Amino acid sequence: MMRRKESEVVGSFFWMAIGIFFAVGGVKLNVGTLRNPGPGFLPVIMALVLIFFSLFTLVKGLIISSVRPVSGFPWKRPALMIASVFFYGLLLELVGFLLSTFITMFILFGLLRGKSSWTMVFIYAAITALAGWLVFSVALNIPFPSPRLITIWR
Amino acid sequence: MGFQITFQPINLLYCFAGVFLGTLIGVLPGIGPSGTISILLCMTFKISPVTSIILLSGIYYGAMYGGSTTSILVNVPGEAASVVTCLDGYQMARQGRAGPALGIAAFGSFIAGSFSVIALMFLSYPLSKFALAFGPPEYFALIILGISLLSYLAQKSLVKALMMAVFGFLLSFVGIDMITGKARYTFGIPDLMDGVGILPIAMGLFGVAEVFENLSAPEERVIFKTNLRNLLPNRQDWKDSAGAITRGSLLGFLVGIIPGGSAVLASFASYAVEKRCSKHPEKFGHGAIEGVAGPESANNSAFGGGLVPLFALGIPPSVVCALLFAALMMHGIQPGPFLIPEHPDVFWGLVASMYLGNIMLLVINIPLIGLWVQVLKIPSRVLFPLILLFCIVGVYSISNSFFDVGIMMLFGVLGYLMKKFDYEPAPLVLAFVLGPIMEQGLRQSLKLSGGSFFIFFTRPVSATLLTLAVLLLLSSFFFKKQRAVLDEREKSV
Repeated sequence: MMRRKESEVVGSFFWMAIGIFFAVGGVKLNVGTLRNPGPGFLPVIMALVLIFFSLFTLVKGLIISSVRPVSGFPWKRPALMIASVFFYGLLLELVGFLLSTFITMFILFGLLRGKSSWTMVFIYAAITALAGWLVFSVALNIPFPSPRLITIWR
Repeated sequence: MGFQITFQPINLLYCFAGVFLGTLIGVLPGIGPSGTISILLCMTFKISPVTSIILLSGIYYGAMYGGSTTSILVNVPGEAASVVTCLDGYQMARQGRAGPALGIAAFGSFIAGSFSVIALMFLSYPLSKFALAFGPPEYFALIILGISLLSYLAQKSLVKALMMAVFGFLLSFVGIDMITGKARYTFGIPDLMDGVGILPIAMGLFGVAEVFENLSAPEERVIFKTNLRNLLPNRQDWKDSAGAITRGSLLGFLVGIIPGGSAVLASFASYAVEKRCSKHPEKFGHGAIEGVAGPESANNSAFGGGLVPLFALGIPPSVVCALLFAALMMHGIQPGPFLIPEHPDVFWGLVASMYLGNIMLLVINIPLIGLWVQVLKIPSRVLFPLILLFCIVGVYSISNSFFDVGIMMLFGVLGYLMKKFDYEPAPLVLAFVLGPIMEQGLRQSLKLSGGSFFIFFTRPVSATLLTLAVLLLLSSFFFKKQRAVLDEREKSV
């Protein structure tokens, strides 16, 4: 479990890194002159402001005495959800919208199953895939990639 | 002329769809109006700009109506602007007065909504005439003041809010530089040439992050079983809440105009004011009807207020207005002082649709309350995968690539972490939308003045705006903030 203090420090370093990244990129882009500001002018200023603020929160984070832990920080289910979205992207190209949506929704409903049975999960996933296909593909005409493996339905 | 546009069958249909959907997502905790508007925005490229703005606005003020239902019956806010309604609304429900609470919330919203539309109508046009004289230095100063105000009003930490604003500005620089044509921070990725999209960012921060956040929340929802037959408030209720509704409407509108003065803040401010004005403040928290009527009026009125700077100046004061800004831009309409003269149909069509939408909402909220109670029974384990699917398909459909889906997931994770560590997403989104205008303002001003920053201080309007911004930020560093309104919030949570 992360403590408040540590989280503040880690956060400050994260934003500092982002600031340095944009500052370096901005300098490479050509800052220009005050008379004729270049494309890197404002990015560098903003990046420096971000670095300044992150130093501020860093110092503040180091001196606070509170060691109260950050309220619950569950990451397993979000991580699994992200993984399944990534998987969905791969699957969509292979087997098309209908089948990949069914499989992904089966996984997602399954993840949050609670007390309901797997049969219900199966039914929910099937309904969602069918309704989604009707709405997105048939009614709204969104061009999904044509499946490379199975070509029965798009 | 606005009504001619609104009464076209297609616009009527979309207006109804908007307010209906808005009420639905307002009732459902776990997805708010910002997330829904971003999802719908992806799917409204093909319809005309007026119709799309009517639909998207309808979602927002519809959600303001719907949110109160959940607050009153379940003691869980359906969306953020209804948090205070829980305090007295739920207590009223426990005393068997859920009906009048729901009724007064709907009538109050209706009165405030109508008031704010009229005020918007009368205020936008003169203000936009005034803004026609604005040059690049004034726009730069206006945006700096807007972002400072937004960060000042941030609920958690001023410095963190400012950091998010700066990060938003930095993100807006990604893509082709408008002035020199040079690609910035694109790493040769073609998808980044046009910059990072507002939609993947908004859907990540307000859709996906919301899902992640709610995954950990407890599942159970106890709906208060109560007699919902008598929804009409009685004469005493009206007498008690008439003042609250009037004050709430006015206050909400004014708060809505200020950048950062969102519907959430409006409702908290109204609750604080009502408690102070009341002859019996001890009743608050124990089912005072004013505590429902005031905030519910204020959060509806705030939307009309927020549209004033959006239409008159082209500066969105809240996240939802920033999304409407993005929607207008996607249809090739630049929000700003030229919008009303050049696209009167969009402005007057929207105004007329809001009159109509508020009437529709009264009709679908009061008699159909039973339906919304049923909606509340949809378990989140069914809802969240569906929201995720909508987000994915919505973002995918913008450019038919998974690149944007990746960006969305990235911002979903970022938004989740930001929430955990007290960084607010609103300054990020607003700064992201305003970044290009601000940069253009700064660079053109410096060219005009030949490289001197004095240009911002020799012109009266920009000098005033920048001085205000500096004073505001300095004051918060040197003095302890007057946080009466926000203390109220802390006590309630």
